[in-house]
Amino acid sequence: MFEARLDLSDSVLVRARMFKEILVCLEGSPSSDAALRTAMSIAALLPARLVGLAVVDEPDIRAGAAMGIGGAAFKHERDEALVADAHARAAEWLNAFERRCRDAKIAAYALEIVGRPADAILEETDKHDLTVLGRDANFRFETASDDSKTREAILHKATRPVLVVPETVHDIGTRVVIAFDGSRAARRALASFAGSGLATGREVYVATVDDNGARAWELAAEGVDLLKQQRIPATPHNIVSALSNTDALFTFAESSGAGLLVMGAFAHSRLQHLFHGSVTRGIVERTTIPLYLQH
Amino acid sequence: MSSAEVASRAVQTGTPAWAVAPFVAYLLSIAALPLFLGHFWEKNRNKLIFALALSAPVIAFLLGRGATTGGAQLLRTGIDYVGFMALLGALFTITGNVCLSGSLPGTPAVNTALLAAGAVLGSVVGTTGASALLIRPLLRANEQRFKTTHLVVFFIFIVANGGGLLTPLGDPPLFLGFLRGVPFTWTLRLLPMWALENGVLLALFAVVDSVVVARERRTGPPRGSTPRPAPLPERFRLQGRLNLLWLLGVVAVVFVMGTYGARLFPDEHARAVAQIAGMSTFAALSWFFTSPDVRAKNRFTWAPMIEVAVVFLGVFVTMVPALSFLEERGASLGVTQPWQFFWASGALSSVLDNAPTYLTFASLATGVADAGAGVLSTADLGTLAAHPVGQHLLQAVSCGSVMMGAVTYIGNGPNFMVKAIADQHHARTPSFFGYIVWSGAILLPLFWVISRIFFH
Repeated sequence: MFEARLDLSDSVLVRARMFKEILVCLEGSPSSDAALRTAMSIAALLPARLVGLAVVDEPDIRAGAAMGIGGAAFKHERDEALVADAHARAAEWLNAFERRCRDAKIAAYALEIVGRPADAILEETDKHDLTVLGRDANFRFETASDDSKTREAILHKATRPVLVVPETVHDIGTRVVIAFDGSRAARRALASFAGSGLATGREVYVATVDDNGARAWELAAEGVDLLKQQRIPATPHNIVSALSNTDALFTFAESSGAGLLVMGAFAHSRLQHLFHGSVTRGIVERTTIPLYLQH
Repeated sequence: MSSAEVASRAVQTGTPAWAVAPFVAYLLSIAALPLFLGHFWEKNRNKLIFALALSAPVIAFLLGRGATTGGAQLLRTGIDYVGFMALLGALFTITGNVCLSGSLPGTPAVNTALLAAGAVLGSVVGTTGASALLIRPLLRANEQRFKTTHLVVFFIFIVANGGGLLTPLGDPPLFLGFLRGVPFTWTLRLLPMWALENGVLLALFAVVDSVVVARERRTGPPRGSTPRPAPLPERFRLQGRLNLLWLLGVVAVVFVMGTYGARLFPDEHARAVAQIAGMSTFAALSWFFTSPDVRAKNRFTWAPMIEVAVVFLGVFVTMVPALSFLEERGASLGVTQPWQFFWASGALSSVLDNAPTYLTFASLATGVADAGAGVLSTADLGTLAAHPVGQHLLQAVSCGSVMMGAVTYIGNGPNFMVKAIADQHHARTPSFFGYIVWSGAILLPLFWVISRIFFH
């Protein structure tokens, strides 16, 4: 097994290894389907084993609710129906997952967990090299019309890399942009990507956005040097733009034909996000290519 | 001893404030326990233990006042309870034996027509029956649409609440009033309020639904949504039509007993027994003359009725001293004007069940209108309905209790039933607070207008 210890700075040490087992979160939406397609293409290339996870959100379905007299019987009936439906859907998705993996000759196994989606996925994330989830996945499909909270909780707390896939994507393409701002999260993202095996056979660009072009170049070059330690050739790019960091990064990714964007997730504290907004959240909401995020 | 004499005797002896505590605690618990102790509250056995635990001190207090006062009050509330449950049970059985099957197109015109039908039907079969009958056809008609939250919200506003204002059959508070002597046809005086509320809501719904449909056509399904398969076309039909006859029977029993009952049965206990027997007979006819397939389609179970029976047992017992207390002290509590009764009864109906709230404020109105004269009595609200001042107060209480039961999911029994059925159909429904935002934005301005026009 390939495993490397990268000394990225005085304070950031990352143990990166080639991906052997990839978790893909299933929930039946077009977004989840895109996640599965992408995960299968990665698993076939590395090769790696796929683990399909479906979560039955029973705690939220059965949570207490304010109701009028006579409501408890309807609540009970509703809960039973929704739980049964959730199990049936999970079984359907997992069967389809196993069938597709078998047809594509990808080693795979299916997993159904009953619990709160964020907790269940995070627990599994810790056990796998990479977690792939659809950008608009709704893991609370029985009780909510959207579920960005679960996604945010995963991106905030996951200790392993997460690949967020928008709806129209099929694979991660042949060109990769690593957004590198020198932060700990960015260094961890670069290191885990370098060790993952995903860079093999792909053109890699290390891009830094900054108002100061010289400083941006310096940081990008530092990122390239770090990749060189893993014998991964890469090209540095400094981006100085009147656009916002997010827009500048998207514009660069688009112009370079990138199929994957690698970056550190939520590099700032929640308090800082409250006052300054989150670049990660903006990028996740607007991206048209898969995002490889490492917290 | 007549009911008025019993009440009068109770007034003379005075009701201590502490005797009201079990009633207040019970109502607050009914509202809070499903939220905080959901699994405990799920079991009817636990509800019964809870109801009996809070009823016990009230029963002891009433029996301590003597058999002719407290005992008679208990007997009276017991008869009211059985009559109340007989009506709810009869309407529940009959509407559970009627099924609207087939598919309708989910257009704004059809949706508005369904809600308009519910606004009328609510006063005939009760808001629970009308809701149970119409919610599934409405959800089926709109199965392929993605934005359906407003359908459920307006359905609760109109069919589950506002539609029940016209007759005692419409909403439990009004039937409680009827059981306490309010004439059957008296509630028809609420026609202008019913027409204004439901007319405005229907017009607003038609506009909102048209806008939502137009937007969905323009923008397509929302990001991340899964396309839903078109339902198989099925002829729209009414199954269990014979039940309309049994329903007419129940209406006739209630009407005849309310209008001519005193002449037919001079003894009030015999009158109550005849009324209960009449309603039970039509419920039984409905049960035996309807195919079980219809009930299966409606997923009919007795569970909701058992729950209602258990919970209302506690309500009926614990409210006895509370009603006496309000009758005695009503004039001194500062609520004297119709608009105050409208808003006060409505505010409490929003967060507590509206049936006991109605009786509480009707008792308060009795105290205010009577002003110590000893003419009016909570045991006979017919006197309040005929009183020159009291009738306006009772109108305000009736409107406040029925209309504002729609403000939260707790306010009226069918509200949560509609939400639960909609959830099962995967029609998105607002959260508890999300629903309050809807009702706050739409209902509160409308109630303000109703208050200004009718109760100032």
